[in-house]
Amino acid sequence: MEIAAGAGLAASGRFGPEHASEDAVLVRQAGAGDEVAFARLYDRYGRMVHGLLLARVGRNDVDDLVQDVFLAAWRRLGALRDPAAFGGWLATIARNRATDFQRRHQGCEELPDHLAAPEAASTRLEARAVLAVIRGLPPAYRETLVLRLVEGLTGPEIAGQTGLTAASVRVNLYRGMKLLREKLGT
Amino acid sequence: MSTDRQNDYLWDRSGEQDDEVARLEALLGTLRHDAPFVAPDSVDARRQSLARDLPGASRASTEPGGAAGDSRWQARAARVLYAGAAVAAVLVLMAVGAVAWVTYVQPRIGWSVESVAGAPVVDGRVVDGSARLGLGRWLTTDAGSRARLAVWQIGEVDVEPNTRVQLVESRGREHRMSLVQGTIHARIWAPPKFFYVNTPAAVAVDLGCAYTLQVQPDGSGLVRVTHGWVGFEHGGREAFIPEGAMCATRKGIGPGTPYFEDAPAVYADALAILDFGGAGDPRRSLSLEAVLSQARSRDALTLWHLLQRGTREERERVYDRMRVLAAPPAGVRRAAVLAGDRRAIDLWWNSLGLDSTTWWRLWKKDW
Repeated sequence: MEIAAGAGLAASGRFGPEHASEDAVLVRQAGAGDEVAFARLYDRYGRMVHGLLLARVGRNDVDDLVQDVFLAAWRRLGALRDPAAFGGWLATIARNRATDFQRRHQGCEELPDHLAAPEAASTRLEARAVLAVIRGLPPAYRETLVLRLVEGLTGPEIAGQTGLTAASVRVNLYRGMKLLREKLGT
Repeated sequence: MSTDRQNDYLWDRSGEQDDEVARLEALLGTLRHDAPFVAPDSVDARRQSLARDLPGASRASTEPGGAAGDSRWQARAARVLYAGAAVAAVLVLMAVGAVAWVTYVQPRIGWSVESVAGAPVVDGRVVDGSARLGLGRWLTTDAGSRARLAVWQIGEVDVEPNTRVQLVESRGREHRMSLVQGTIHARIWAPPKFFYVNTPAAVAVDLGCAYTLQVQPDGSGLVRVTHGWVGFEHGGREAFIPEGAMCATRKGIGPGTPYFEDAPAVYADALAILDFGGAGDPRRSLSLEAVLSQARSRDALTLWHLLQRGTREERERVYDRMRVLAAPPAGVRRAAVLAGDRRAIDLWWNSLGLDSTTWWRLWKKDW
């Protein structure tokens, strides 16, 4: 069964602490086997998981790893003691999954997509070059910048979804952006 | 320097727009997550199936608070056992395979088809359990279907969803299928040049290996080799792709330049421009510079192929860079290489530690 993404709160650009209680309801429903509820969690957190993975592993492996992470979450929902902490818990799964993947694929950077039209290559070339620069930054900055610039999440959304404090996200965002500007010479 | 109002924009898009942040958002937004939700049961089934094919499939725990330490030790032990078993299995398979392919000289028509998931179709009939794919017949999978083909006695091919293949020939030393769209994973244990896959853009020739081959609706393709070697050929343009490398192909052009999966990230796009962008593409020079400047010693594989492609000026640049990364052996002269002297080019290849050219040139006749 496939359910189209995009109707979730993350896609609407708003994500605040009040949604933690909604998450708790969805997590409990999903834990009881409700795939529709789990699909809504995917809508909310798909970009966050994708961003955390993209900050660490090659782009062509990320989509599969996103599925891995949500599959692991689906299997372990019963072990989540505080359903309202779903975001931080899911972020930890994503980081661990990325670490596992890197351990098994040491040396691999990217599995490129050859099959797009050559005309699009310049933009992709630049996007991937910038992404490579971001990946060269310290992990905390790298993660926050990918979530902000690639996934389009705002600072409050990043904090709400990853379980980090807003202050930490703000600091990482500003310092990371400053470093990125220096690296890019802009 | 950014202002406080621009910092607000970075934080939550309020305040004055920071043009650089906005530019990066637009640029990097092309990499944003857009994959639809797939029900866990579907993912689970697919993962279990894939796990059967992947070395080191035993995975460490990824859940927070799980028994990560134990799992890691178990995973390591499993990997060691797996590696030992794999080596033993390969030796046994090589011996059995060698006997089998010498013994089985009788033509044998048709391959068996096993339904792995969903409802694969052979010539309009849904495969319920297993079926036979005869010569000239088509096997089609939809978005929810997967199938496994037994390639005579010499291997097997997993057919992924949304794929269409045809059995073209299966006799003696030629077992050939056509992949017009979709993805297959092939594992072949016969000697080189027994198994072929025709695609709209090139012929993939098995040189004793395992690989994944993907064809897009426009006929372009991509091969990724996980074990052994694959040859890719179209109209005299050829590529030799070793384990850990990949190569694209385009309809009407043929195979591109192979490169290792761990090559620098810009390689794919730069090579796509060099291989398929056309001789007049203004980005060629910049793309070649990107490839050459980031090439490592290991990427001599890529540069060796580029030595035989492009303009004289481009090949000179490739030669000069490759000479630094992997010095040509004694007797290999610049003029000979640039003139396309096969002996000189092969001698250089043989010095790269990627196996000798002799064996694969021996097998590559009449692709």
